[in-house]
Amino acid sequence: MIARRLAALLLTLVSFLLCGPVTVFAQETATGDHVRVRWLAPETFAAGEPATIGFYFEVDPEWHVYWRNAGDSGAAPRFDLNIAGAETGEILWPFPKRLPIEHLTNLGYEGNVAYLLPLTPDTGAREIVLEANLEWLVCKVDCIPGFGTLRLERSVVGREVWDPADRDLVARFLARVPGAESSSPWRATELAEEGEQVVLTLQGRGERQDFPQVFPLDGGLLTAAAPEVERLDGEVVYRFQRVPGASPVRAAGFVVSDGARAWSLENVPFGQLTESPAQSLWLLVLAAFAGGVILNLMPCVFPVLSIKVFGLINSGAGHRLREALLYGAGVLATFAALGALLLLLRAGGAAIGWGFQLQSAPVVLALIALFWLMALSFSGLFEFGQRLMNLAGSSRGGSFATGVLAVFVAAPCTGPFMGAALGAAAVLPAVSAMAIFLALGAGLAAPFLLLCASPPLLRRLPQPGPWMDKLRQFLAFPLYLTVIWLLWVLGRLLGEDGWLIGSLLLVALVFAIWLGRTISRGGRIVGYSFSALALVVAFSALQLREGKAPVAGTGIWAPFDPVAITDAREQGRGVFIDYTAAWCITCQVNKKLVLDLPEIQDVFQRNNVYLVRADWTDHNPEITRALAELGRNSVPVYAWYAPGASRPELLPQILQESMITGLFEDSSRQPKEDDKP
Amino acid sequence: MKIKHSLSRWVASLLIAAPMVAFAAAVPGEKAPAFSEVDAAGKTHSLDDYAGKWLVIEWFNKDCPYVKKHYGSGNMQSLQEKYTGEGIEWLTVISSAKGKQGYLEPAEAMDVAKNHNLNASAPFLLDADGSMGRAFGAKTTPHMFIINPEGKVVYAGAIDDNDSANPAVIPKSTNYVATALDASMSGEAIPVASSRAYGCSVKY
Repeated sequence: MIARRLAALLLTLVSFLLCGPVTVFAQETATGDHVRVRWLAPETFAAGEPATIGFYFEVDPEWHVYWRNAGDSGAAPRFDLNIAGAETGEILWPFPKRLPIEHLTNLGYEGNVAYLLPLTPDTGAREIVLEANLEWLVCKVDCIPGFGTLRLERSVVGREVWDPADRDLVARFLARVPGAESSSPWRATELAEEGEQVVLTLQGRGERQDFPQVFPLDGGLLTAAAPEVERLDGEVVYRFQRVPGASPVRAAGFVVSDGARAWSLENVPFGQLTESPAQSLWLLVLAAFAGGVILNLMPCVFPVLSIKVFGLINSGAGHRLREALLYGAGVLATFAALGALLLLLRAGGAAIGWGFQLQSAPVVLALIALFWLMALSFSGLFEFGQRLMNLAGSSRGGSFATGVLAVFVAAPCTGPFMGAALGAAAVLPAVSAMAIFLALGAGLAAPFLLLCASPPLLRRLPQPGPWMDKLRQFLAFPLYLTVIWLLWVLGRLLGEDGWLIGSLLLVALVFAIWLGRTISRGGRIVGYSFSALALVVAFSALQLREGKAPVAGTGIWAPFDPVAITDAREQGRGVFIDYTAAWCITCQVNKKLVLDLPEIQDVFQRNNVYLVRADWTDHNPEITRALAELGRNSVPVYAWYAPGASRPELLPQILQESMITGLFEDSSRQPKEDDKP
Repeated sequence: MKIKHSLSRWVASLLIAAPMVAFAAAVPGEKAPAFSEVDAAGKTHSLDDYAGKWLVIEWFNKDCPYVKKHYGSGNMQSLQEKYTGEGIEWLTVISSAKGKQGYLEPAEAMDVAKNHNLNASAPFLLDADGSMGRAFGAKTTPHMFIINPEGKVVYAGAIDDNDSANPAVIPKSTNYVATALDASMSGEAIPVASSRAYGCSVKY
């Protein structure tokens, strides 16, 4: 008995020594009904180094404290600070939650919260003394005000020493403090008053498909009740109720949050904020036009166009102009149709990028057949050229068809050049997106139109002659290369079967031509029938193979969010990040052939991997930064953080199933063992 | 056909009316909602009784810390005394439902009026069914409204600009009700006609 008492006494003495004078300890907390407040502060500050400290409110379950705008009732806590030895900034408020309380809505926090305070020790200061007179209101349905004084005395030494748990708390709530408007994934495009409603329109930067929660900063202007939300073509419209009779103001502030982080739109003026979007739209349209012009020089487009131009040299001016206009109409109509398709698909919720034609195996196979025949014809194997030119040269449909063809041929080349403009088009309002598509088309059509419309320019082109044949034969080689590239794409889409089907079709087509030229009577018919048969067989084989191809499911992929990634890693989960972009064909192929396969998804799921798809289509600055940290500036990048690992492992750019399954072969049993105890 | 038509019109008007009922409130610049409530002494008060007079309406809950801030300091009573002295009418309303915080039976209400030194034009108006509170859109205690002699609302909102529960801040605060009444009495425009009504939620 005595021994136990003695032990208790000793323990008390030791804890005295460890905790320092008890008086300081008592001043570092404040307690009220349902609330206990304490400092989150380092044990020592580092001289001259900015630090963030916090007031940590530990609140009883079901009770809550408030945000800077408390909402329809309630009150934000007050911090009356007296400080010596440091400069302090403004209180930082983590973004709140809407708390419906009977007929009202409040903005506050469920559970514990830290209000943060940035602070920089004065130069030469050896000690910081901070006294805070606090007032707070804690509510369930009834509210209880609380008052308290906290005092903090800390020495300033060489470095900052933190209790790790407290530092983590500060970091956790600091991540929830609204960031700067410039880093916000949403921006305000319009703020308007409609009767008793105030309507805020937000537009996502990049391919943000979700919509944020929006909290008004001024409780005197807007009620805290959740606004009506309406999604309109890349924009989200929020209708807030005005506080009845609130006097008109010029601007309002909001905080937007995706649930994990938040950004503040401090000062959104009333009226349409057209200036900057319009300006950037013009820039985008110009860029798209320039990109279209450049497309004429692409190896996949240039041969078609030069042949077309030479075909027109000898025709009259009127005819030429008509052809040129028809060609332009073909290009524009195709771009408009593709744009409409893209918008339609986008409206259907599928956010897709440009080169999407190349994600469809039948389209790729058709292009392979077409380019193969054209290449053979250019090489002089058969006079397909004449026929094509008959078709595409003299008749109206021909020039129109050349225009259509040029677009399809150009599409794969747009990716690297036009990624940014098309990425923007994927999220812009329909009209702006269509403007960009048409600008691309206009750019593609412009040089050809110019050549045809201006005889002096055309006269500068060399006279037709035998050199044309040589040139045509030379131009066959880019076409052969294009065929190989397309075969590669098909191979990526379908695996080895793709190569096989594609190259068999190539041989069959050559064989059909040989048949046509060898059999003297009816050879042509035999040749046509054989090639038709080959095409039918190839396409049905494709259909059969593609039936087995996986359906891409993207639901399990979380959007890129550093906070969520850190959280998952802290929970000991493996994290797999797919840095991708809609305009990156390799990325799409990897997605389709490896990442989105049900087997692979199974493997991920079994190992409880947090999957992140970091979409760089719009060159999101955060993702750019994350890529730079990995030492990369392009996509695809596949980063794998094994559970508990501090550094990621980077996978090759061209993925194979075994690479993913290989990640878990050593570790696959471990999680199960961990589960047992 | 005709029945169908009128039915759809009826449904439509219901749909339009429903949100109007939900959002009914005393809005500055608009006519005050009509009311008719019995006070703790048994006398009925309605909006018509106050036609041609300036009228202040105040929401009250004796257990609300913000009400305590203004009554414990004597701030509210001195406002009531000053302005009723200038011929302005002042009604203090309790909209707490039976069983909720702040609900008072008439006899209790008379006692509370006495020990709080209530200086309003009448003892507490007892709005236990919340009809008057909802008609005004009273959100908090103390939510304050000012109605002019034409029956129009000219102020709705908080009593002052400081939502602290600490009575010590009162001398430094700008009192919106006093400012609005003083401006009106001297024939000037009311500088602030609306504010966020701070305080406790009304316990309907």
